[in-house]
Amino acid sequence: MIHVTETDEIRLIEAEEVPTRFARGWHCLGLSGGFKDGKPHTINAFGTKLVVFQGEDGKLNVLDAYCRHMGGDLSQGTVKGNEIACPFHDWRWGGDGRCKKIPYSRRVPLRARTSAWPTLDQDGMLFVWNDPEGNPPPPEQAIPVIPGATRDDWTDWVWNETIVHTNVREVIDNVVDMAHFFYIHQSFPTYFKNVFEGHVATQVMKGKSRPDSGQRGGKGPKLLGNSSVASYFGPSFMIDELTYHYEGFDLESVLLNCHYPIDENSFVLMSGIIAQRSDVLPGDAADQMAKTMSKFILAGFDQDVEIWKHKARIDNPLLCEEDGPVYQLRRWYEQFYVDVADIDPEMTARFEHELDTTRPVEAWQAEVEENLARREAAGSA
Amino acid sequence: MSVRQDERLAPAAPGVPMTEVDCARCGATVLARKSSWEQTSIQWSARAMAVCSTPPADGHSTCPALRESIARAAAEGRLPVLDEVAPSYGAEVADRPAHDH
Repeated sequence: MIHVTETDEIRLIEAEEVPTRFARGWHCLGLSGGFKDGKPHTINAFGTKLVVFQGEDGKLNVLDAYCRHMGGDLSQGTVKGNEIACPFHDWRWGGDGRCKKIPYSRRVPLRARTSAWPTLDQDGMLFVWNDPEGNPPPPEQAIPVIPGATRDDWTDWVWNETIVHTNVREVIDNVVDMAHFFYIHQSFPTYFKNVFEGHVATQVMKGKSRPDSGQRGGKGPKLLGNSSVASYFGPSFMIDELTYHYEGFDLESVLLNCHYPIDENSFVLMSGIIAQRSDVLPGDAADQMAKTMSKFILAGFDQDVEIWKHKARIDNPLLCEEDGPVYQLRRWYEQFYVDVADIDPEMTARFEHELDTTRPVEAWQAEVEENLARREAAGSA
Repeated sequence: MSVRQDERLAPAAPGVPMTEVDCARCGATVLARKSSWEQTSIQWSARAMAVCSTPPADGHSTCPALRESIARAAAEGRLPVLDEVAPSYGAEVADRPAHDH
């Protein structure tokens, strides 16, 4: 017998080519201390190769690594004074991108200027301002100072870097993706809200601990849950003020989640963590805590990467009402890929979206209990 | 990349579109949507931002007066709530066995 089903249109996944342009905005290239050894450093970013070097004046400089003379790789060169000298013919380039000297020539030719990225050395991190239009960074888009980063009662950064082979939009989408925190990261969100305004995209999330995850179990004080306010300041740098609620006390931490594109199909994903020392978490205990958190975050990256490795790029996600505002997030994100003159007011207008977590919490609670029951049954068998 | 529309906001039935709501305190007009009594979306405009008398200090809070105005609009039926307009659709239809047709 033949059943004739409804001729519902099949939903097709749509995806345009990934943009070949790189986002305008501040990008963190990592901890700045590592670049301050008087040697040039190679960074593959924004579809090219960069050289990062510190001049004698102490300033960190970032230039396109390919010498405009004959294409030599400046990141294989030598720092001489405040300039980087090309290993090929010793042409000297200043942090402003201009050729300052050619030792074997009487004159520097006209147009001897290469790409230079404005830099910022703040809170122990090196940032570069990327702008396809070549404009200077507007002051209102400055990366906020993180007080804990320079305070003695907070730990130093525990830093991770990993290369991910996909387009950066995948990591941005996580801002609005509440459900993946349960299914991928073994978290249990109970409150979820997003606010986009100007160049800032914020995720407010509260969660409770997952007794079935086994990741936070063991000895020590009981973890009840966490509260997180995480904001992208521009296209690539997220500061997450993350509080862990333990029985009897709170633990304050700051988690950075940031990236820079290598090219349109790969990026360097980084995390940085600091935790506040306190009476319950003095001295080394806080450092240990930050290290443990870092491992947890790194495991989280791996969980995301495993999904990204196999998934399709999708411009038309099919959403249910318990999903976050993916389209509005991408509308916000688009502002960084168009000329400033072409930014639509809709891209930067304030948008707020608070999820109803009633149904997700019910479903997830049931799933957690099933997992615990199954574990108990397996344990007693 | 081109920016696409969120189909959940499409005005076609059985969905509910973004709908204008005025803040009872300052008169700012925003677009709001509720898929349930607990869920709220708010789209501000530059004009609404300029009119708002007490923007939240921390950037991610929702103005309490506006929140109340939206809740009242929903309670009074001026702002449709999807759960009320269309308590269920989609899955139940899709799950119906083929021989029902």
